[in-house]
Amino acid sequence: MVTIIVNGVRREIQSPADTPLLYVLRNDLELSGPQFGCGLAQCGSCSVLMDGKEIRSCVTPLSAASGKEVTTLEGLPARWAQQKGLSKADAEKTLHPVQQAWIEEQTPLCGFCQNGMMIKATELLEQAPTPTVAEIKAAFTTSGPSPHLCRCGSYTAIIEAVRRAGMIMAERS
Amino acid sequence: MAISSEKPVNVYGATLTRRELVQAGGALLVGFGIAGAAVPKKTLKTTGSKNTLDPTLPSSWIEIHPDNTILIRTGKSDFGQGTTFTAYRQIVAEELNAPFEAITTVVMGDTDRTPDGSGAFDFLGRGTPNVRKAAAYTYQALLELAAQRLGVPKDRVSAKDGVVSGGGKSMSYGELVKGQQLKLTIPVMGDLTSPMGLTVTGEPPMKPVSEYTIIGKPFKNSVITSKVTAREQWATDVRLPDMLHARMIHPKTLGSTLVSVGELDKSRFPNSQVVVKGNLVGVVAPTEWEAISAAQQVAGDTKWTDWKGLPGDANLFSHLRKSDWTTTKVTKGDKSRGDVPKAMAGAAKKLSATYEFSFMKHAPIGPTMALADVKSDGSVHIYTHNQNPQALRGEIAQMLGIAIDRIVVRTFAGPGHYGRSNGGNAGAEDEAVILSKALGRPVRVQWMRPDDFQWSTQSPASLSDVEIALDANGKMTAYQIDHYMPAMQDDRPVGAVLAGLPTMAAPSEKGVFIGSTVNDISDPWIYDGVSVLMERGHGTYQVGQKESPLAIGLRDHSMRTPGQFQQNYPRELAVSEAAALAGADAIQFRIDHATEERSIGVLKAVRDASGWETRPSPVRNSVAAADQPLRGRGVSVMFRSGTYWACVCEISVTPSTGVIKVEKSTIAVDPGIVVNPLQLKRQVEGGAVMGISHALLEEAKFDESAITARDWRTYPILKMADIPEIKVVLLHRPEVGAYGGGSEAANALAAPAIAAALHDATGKIARRLPLKPDYVQGLLKA
Repeated sequence: MVTIIVNGVRREIQSPADTPLLYVLRNDLELSGPQFGCGLAQCGSCSVLMDGKEIRSCVTPLSAASGKEVTTLEGLPARWAQQKGLSKADAEKTLHPVQQAWIEEQTPLCGFCQNGMMIKATELLEQAPTPTVAEIKAAFTTSGPSPHLCRCGSYTAIIEAVRRAGMIMAERS
Repeated sequence: MAISSEKPVNVYGATLTRRELVQAGGALLVGFGIAGAAVPKKTLKTTGSKNTLDPTLPSSWIEIHPDNTILIRTGKSDFGQGTTFTAYRQIVAEELNAPFEAITTVVMGDTDRTPDGSGAFDFLGRGTPNVRKAAAYTYQALLELAAQRLGVPKDRVSAKDGVVSGGGKSMSYGELVKGQQLKLTIPVMGDLTSPMGLTVTGEPPMKPVSEYTIIGKPFKNSVITSKVTAREQWATDVRLPDMLHARMIHPKTLGSTLVSVGELDKSRFPNSQVVVKGNLVGVVAPTEWEAISAAQQVAGDTKWTDWKGLPGDANLFSHLRKSDWTTTKVTKGDKSRGDVPKAMAGAAKKLSATYEFSFMKHAPIGPTMALADVKSDGSVHIYTHNQNPQALRGEIAQMLGIAIDRIVVRTFAGPGHYGRSNGGNAGAEDEAVILSKALGRPVRVQWMRPDDFQWSTQSPASLSDVEIALDANGKMTAYQIDHYMPAMQDDRPVGAVLAGLPTMAAPSEKGVFIGSTVNDISDPWIYDGVSVLMERGHGTYQVGQKESPLAIGLRDHSMRTPGQFQQNYPRELAVSEAAALAGADAIQFRIDHATEERSIGVLKAVRDASGWETRPSPVRNSVAAADQPLRGRGVSVMFRSGTYWACVCEISVTPSTGVIKVEKSTIAVDPGIVVNPLQLKRQVEGGAVMGISHALLEEAKFDESAITARDWRTYPILKMADIPEIKVVLLHRPEVGAYGGGSEAANALAAPAIAAALHDATGKIARRLPLKPDYVQGLLKA
């Protein structure tokens, strides 16, 4: 049995310790944010935050997440609420600025890759609240095990959404 | 006029009946009936009985509820176009004179809950999608009801924001239908499970464009919110009790047959099971990770015959050149005219060139998956993400030899397919059905990344020969183009083929419609100032199809802007070359040969928006310093699905590396009426990025046995760091009176513009796609 903390909740997982975290999140915990895109850490559709760092859950064994804090797309609002010290009532009606910006900019096309894009954006903005376009491009292209790929070509919309999310964060601070 | 079940009311060919008075609830349900004598009998098939497994469900297009909410249904599934959630709502709300927000529910794709079938393409239906006519009929029915309830003649009833008024009284649509069970039957034609599905017929009055208040506004897409907040149910999320996870072991090559299946190591995988049917091998287990691990173990010990029947990608174009193009009927463009040999003989200058277009993959970001449940009573439920669920029903019925009405397909959100499943299947659906039937339990088949590259269909390769005659004034006097492309649409479910189960025939010259090897002219000619024209399409069998013992080979499938991409790329690049030969500016040269005002308008718009400098190409004819990036620009133009497109790409190329970087892409779009500028802009931007990816990177590599692309390293697509500045110019032209499509075309514009820009920058012409660094580097050295 492996214990992980997912979106703030301790979870005891019975699956074998070599099971990739992706299948634990999707099948054992019934989370739908992270998606199976390649199983090879080549696309980013499966990304989650582990102790604040973006990882590819499709190649991360459950054992590597033991005792770690995992945040999925589902956990972004609560992550923001905690960071900002929002009341429970406020937290329940607040989206993470990244999610809000993704809606305002109408970023996704098919949307299958956008889980990883939003996770990457969250990681980036927690470190650099006002990234330049070049910094955004670098974060999504060279900072991880592979570029974050979007087949529908939503990169322009993602860049605009990351910048907007940064502005929303600044306004709410 | 009283409306009763005894006296149906004719509404412009639709029939309005009141079946009964009900105590509470009530609704106006818009269903469908078979069109009358005006429709040729041979195009009609009875559709009602096979539309649903549950006859109590209303097979309706539109429901107006007593609480003033409206539900719409469409057979078309959203694949990222957003049209069903935005444009369709706008179109229906507009025709109904109801608020956009009143349409609270959009049901799409599910075969038991939507009326019309057809695929996730051509959403706007050349200006009249089914939902528009359905809404127009519904509106007339509402006016009939209102006339009766308000006690005034129909022509004295007016409607606005979901409220009818007349004779000094007003009533909401909800109040109109409250307490009544009304049914409107509208005329349709077609075959539900054919690729094109049903079409609403007749001519109900439609709202004049001048009165539009909802179409043209930037409404947001509701499904984006549910996806971004992780509330959407994706096909990948669907689970059933007692379900097994499966992974497939596909043959070693595209022509291998099974020799022996590897033995499952039960000590490691106690809960797994191997299923074999013909050459189809699957491994199932209660957990996904065990299914994956067990399949890997079994695959390693499974033996297949060897097969070498493909030419290999290095020999692709010589193979295509010597393929048999004689057994398939040659098609001709409908504008072909004049005496080509005579015009060519009299040319002052001539261009003769061949253009080559490689196989590409649709490459959805998530591999195909499906969950099938073949129940003990023989009924089949499939849960998947599919561009044509009704066509899938037909294919599964054929495969199992059962009636179509035993099959339900439910569709959910998933990765974009870009046409791959518009004929009904993407790969996993039939395999899940075969395994579920064998095991008597629900089975979820998820292809792994290599399966998806190596066992899916591809966008067909093609080559085109072009000859252009120029007169002494640099005007095109004759244009001849011969397009050679293998069959583009192989809709056989691949699992059924491997299992030896019945499928439709492979594409052949005997096939009809899209099952044929015929290569239609798909790229509408827009240079009507050229007096002599010949456009021909030559078709043949798919590469390796006849040689493979599995009859598989390199299966093709239409991909975003299908066929037209393969034809527009050579046409537009050749026109840029002809402009250079004439010493003319590439945009002005196009304007000088076009006659349609909208073609010229879109070219002028892209010229202005891109800051294009009018001058001939190339800007230089030699490469001075190998490490110095050289800049150039190119243009392309296209007419597709009622929309005019023009694109300018500005590039830099470094001769020493051959690396092309697109620095700016400007696209002008004239769809006539812009239904939703916000959504259209995002579609165009996405298409622009995909098009640059196609042009610079994409080629499905293969050896003599198989596709060798297996992941994102061996089939790279464009990364964020490599996107250009993208500028989209939307030309809203209500005077056109119709709206054209916006989800295709953009992806096909970049390739000819980038190749022309490379020529502009260096004086060297690259006539083969993709423009990979080694190809460009070699070209610039020569």
